[in-house]
Amino acid sequence: MKFINETVTIVRKDILLELRGKEVLSLMTFLSLLLLVIFNFALDLDKVTVSDFAPGILWVVFAFSGIIGMGRTSMVERDEDAYLSIIFSPASAESFFTAKVISNLLFLLTMEVVTVLLFAVLFDFEKLVVFFPRLLPSLLLGSLGFSIIGTLFSFLSTTSRYGEFLLPFLFLPVVAPILLGGVTSMDKILSESSEGFSKWMNILIVFDVMYMVLSLILFIHLL
Amino acid sequence: MNRRKAATVLYYILFVMIPLDFFLIFMVAPTERIMGDVQRIFYLHIALAINSYLGFAGVFIGGILFLRRKNLFWDTVAYTSAEIGVLFSTLVIITGSFWARPVWNVWWTWDPRLVTMLILWFIYVGYFLLRKGIDDVVRRARYSAVLGIIGFLDVPVVRLATKWWRSIHPRLSKEGGGLDPMMVKVMLFTIVTFVLFTVSLFIFRFRIARAEERVAVIIKNMEE
Repeated sequence: MKFINETVTIVRKDILLELRGKEVLSLMTFLSLLLLVIFNFALDLDKVTVSDFAPGILWVVFAFSGIIGMGRTSMVERDEDAYLSIIFSPASAESFFTAKVISNLLFLLTMEVVTVLLFAVLFDFEKLVVFFPRLLPSLLLGSLGFSIIGTLFSFLSTTSRYGEFLLPFLFLPVVAPILLGGVTSMDKILSESSEGFSKWMNILIVFDVMYMVLSLILFIHLL
Repeated sequence: MNRRKAATVLYYILFVMIPLDFFLIFMVAPTERIMGDVQRIFYLHIALAINSYLGFAGVFIGGILFLRRKNLFWDTVAYTSAEIGVLFSTLVIITGSFWARPVWNVWWTWDPRLVTMLILWFIYVGYFLLRKGIDDVVRRARYSAVLGIIGFLDVPVVRLATKWWRSIHPRLSKEGGGLDPMMVKVMLFTIVTFVLFTVSLFIFRFRIARAEERVAVIIKNMEE
């Protein structure tokens, strides 16, 4: 109970901060829009090719906008050592980490919904919106994995001399299974084939559970 | 003193074993019927791959022991192993590429084993980037231990994911299990030689690292 209370309090703090500053979400969605435009120039998508490329483009956009957003949320804690006040409070390191994962997940999901809508509008691909409820489970699991690794690694990288610049180098190789799982499962939903879909969901679940447990054990060493 | 003697004995053994191993690979092992002489790269390739995984396992174990015992000795073990792992995985990718070109007719293919090795390579190069960016010795040890543990546990997941991802597509080629008994013997000998080589490399590098640490302490004391 104490754990839940502490977690909810810290999540509420992050949301309140975001509502006032509107820093993370605006950065992330702005980058998403920019990347979608760049992808359009690079790939010259039309009505036929768009459904082949949609999963790949979307997950690359999620990954890069996610890196920017998650780097920012941990930078907020490192600025003037703000996180120390949480460490010295009675809240445990585990609830601090869990709260950070949840708030990053909320930011990621918001960005993803906006990106999907933008994609549907920009590329005239309404199918994406129609299929959205079916995309949601894999989106949730994939984003949770992103959020766990992103939260942990953004704390690793912000103390480094290279700062947030280091995050993509650490983050992208480790989340490779999520990118594979996310892209493939989205591709299967959009092409309406259920073959092998569940094993990709399983790999996302295994990844999330394994790294959540591991991060809760390891996070204490990063403070 | 005793440990130092054991290391010296190991170097003498390797002094004999490495030339012998190359003799076995090039002179004794039979020539593969279809691939020809280029298949001889296989012995080195397999041995290097096994040893790069040994190196990465060393990072993992060193990381865990450092976090448990807070002794910088284990951090030195971890990053020495990481260097060996990165060196060998680079060589694995290069030898693999040389082998793939005449046999599969490509320099690179997105085969699960190749992709797993490449992703590991990225993770451990990132490990050194992380270390380079942190000056505080204890913090550097703690942070890189966390990354080393996370990175190593990613291996099975990456392997599984890339296997499923490629299984939808036709496979380019796969060597069969029917190796000539002589080839198996040469392969095993090469693996043993390279494991011993890795151990000796580790001892060498570890001693240098400890000496560097001592010098750093002396310089720091002199400055103060």
